[in-house]
Amino acid sequence: MSTLKFRPLRVTAYTVCSAAGTGRAATLSALVERRSGLTPNDFGASPLATWIGRVPGLEEQALPAAWAEWECRNNRLAWRGLVIDDFVDAVAAARERYGAERIAVLIGTSTASIGASEDAYRRLESDGRYPADLRRPIVHTPHSLGDFVQHALALRGIAVTVATACSSSAKVFGQAERLIRAGLADAAVVGGVDTLCGSTLFGFNSLELIASERCRPFDVARHGINIGEAAGFALLEREAGSGAWLLGYGESSDAHHMSAPHPEGVGARRALQDALESSQLTPASIDYINLHGTASLKNDEVEARLVADLFPSRTFASSTKGWTGHTLGAAGIVEAAISLIALESGWLPGTLNTGQLDPACGPQIRRENEQRRAQRALSFSFGFGGSNCVLALGRGDLT
Amino acid sequence: MSAIQSAGERELAELIVTALNLEGVAPADIEPEAALFKTGLGLDSIDALELALEISKRYGFQLRSDDENNLRIFRSLRSLAAHIERHRTT
Amino acid sequence: MSALPPIAIEGVAFWHTRMPGWTIARAVIRGEQDASATPAPRPTPGLLAPTERRRAPDTVALALEVAARACEAADRSPAQLRSVFASTYGDLGISDYMCATLAGTPTLISPTKFHNSVHNAAAGYWSIGTASHASYTAISAYRYTFASAVLEAATQVVCDEQPVVCVAFDVEAKGPLGTVAPSTGLLGVALVLAPPRGESQRTLALRVEQGSAADITQARSGAAALVAENALAPCLPFFEALAHSTPASVVLALSDHCLLHAQVSGSQ
Repeated sequence: MSTLKFRPLRVTAYTVCSAAGTGRAATLSALVERRSGLTPNDFGASPLATWIGRVPGLEEQALPAAWAEWECRNNRLAWRGLVIDDFVDAVAAARERYGAERIAVLIGTSTASIGASEDAYRRLESDGRYPADLRRPIVHTPHSLGDFVQHALALRGIAVTVATACSSSAKVFGQAERLIRAGLADAAVVGGVDTLCGSTLFGFNSLELIASERCRPFDVARHGINIGEAAGFALLEREAGSGAWLLGYGESSDAHHMSAPHPEGVGARRALQDALESSQLTPASIDYINLHGTASLKNDEVEARLVADLFPSRTFASSTKGWTGHTLGAAGIVEAAISLIALESGWLPGTLNTGQLDPACGPQIRRENEQRRAQRALSFSFGFGGSNCVLALGRGDLT
Repeated sequence: MSAIQSAGERELAELIVTALNLEGVAPADIEPEAALFKTGLGLDSIDALELALEISKRYGFQLRSDDENNLRIFRSLRSLAAHIERHRTT
Repeated sequence: MSALPPIAIEGVAFWHTRMPGWTIARAVIRGEQDASATPAPRPTPGLLAPTERRRAPDTVALALEVAARACEAADRSPAQLRSVFASTYGDLGISDYMCATLAGTPTLISPTKFHNSVHNAAAGYWSIGTASHASYTAISAYRYTFASAVLEAATQVVCDEQPVVCVAFDVEAKGPLGTVAPSTGLLGVALVLAPPRGESQRTLALRVEQGSAADITQARSGAAALVAENALAPCLPFFEALAHSTPASVVLALSDHCLLHAQVSGSQ
């Protein structure tokens, strides 16, 4: 079997929609103006005392009638993410170029539309069945998301939903690269969507990981995460004359504990190593790191040490979860998008809400924004269940 | 110190075994003074959260994870049972 | 049309409530034996440490059983292998618990059950149990889940020239969720796929083509009726092919318009 070599892919279109803003321009404004999208939790009947990253207006915006079968909050947010920044048009043009069967759909999520089942359980019929409006089987399976996106984009090839918790919509980049490398696709729509639901709010609450106030990544007094919802997508192509770059990626497992990271960051370091190797970059060549930085006690400590150990002091690293909240299965794509926005705009976002940095932080972790020309970025996603993924992204020439 | 479980300790032992699905551990075999966490029964932080949940459901009061006395409260079956006795509302 | 070069199938595992193991499943498929009269209890995940073992829900027990058996059959150490875990619905018992508890007493969610509700729970427990830092993924593709898992695992084998264990499973639905997400019994399967090493190995050549559900291979064996009500039933034609030693061609669906052609070589 001859060796198929990894080659960088072009990111020819991308989109992001979170509590911080709908679309790339709005997201950039929020980053530059230090405007957090976090608000006090008002989700559900008895909201927990916390802050959330809620995308406004989803309640009023049903899916177009053609997609009624997939109707649910998660797919509404997916649709909103698809129709902004001309993404649907970019995919349509790619469909013309390559054929609908040659574009793979790989979408990440943690809970997909479990919220719809949560809703159904509150409104069960007397015979224990779901209410009629929720008796749509495709919605009550994780692939609700990937299946919806494939249909909404009129694509006819490979379609998979990836659910590896917080690394989901970073891992899809690697999965796409392999499919393209192996000749099974010429392009891929990758992305992720997660929406507010009881499962994650009350689930993380049961683990005492939810902060009662706005989250403060890397702050010495941090005490937990804020959950956010978001959608993001990217179009990856093997052959394209322009666009940003997926330069490489690394993936690993912590093999330690389902809900706590490896204390030495063994898995994270390995994923980072592999990302640098595949992209032929060194720590010194990285301009910006979008950290996982959830504001949980353990993640931030492990991550801060890793950055302090391995990167020179000029590297600019930050967590942007103070703008969006922790968007779980969408965190990978959201933060890849923010990294690309940073590279393209020359605006590197700092770390919002954070006062005094934890002593474990080195000089790399920044609180304030900075304008700086940047070409090479890394995005870290370290997930529940010990799943780690690091993406290497770039703009400009490859050399 | 008695190595025999009191009625309250026995009830708590049963709750622990059931809530944490401790295979091969009979409630009567949990030494009242033996460590529950790390050594002894070898429970971890998730078990602590799970126990706090079950205790709140059964005995009607909240164990707080930021209580500075937690190391002492959770140290053994005996100490935990005594704490429950003092605070239970059901 | 797009095709992967042939890869080796080094290990096969199968577990169903009435066919608890590949040996019995293969015999039932070949008509040499009846399925077990009584349902087997769920497998015990031996490779988990006591703390993880007592927390493991049905999906984890089932997935780890078939993953471990496939690695044994392949004579491969689990820690070295990347893995692909796949399930149509994940742990339906846990999902029912989560929805029911959220509808009643949301602040009383069990932390252990929340742990177990994530789609990558089985993958996570596997990596912990095998002390493996190799990367895993956890996917879902509705009725196309098994085919998608095989394709993903095979793609990894071809790209990275490393062996991969591919694990797929679905369990019994509980509660109201079962009315929209139907599945009965426990069904788990696993394959160890690897770069080919020699002529004596059984090989798998995969091809992706456009086509419709009308073109997929139907299950024909005595096992078909037994697994029919489990959400992972679409995997059975593939295992029917593996149960025989003759070369076979199996067509599975990858999405509404896309088919996976699997050419399995003969075996010694």
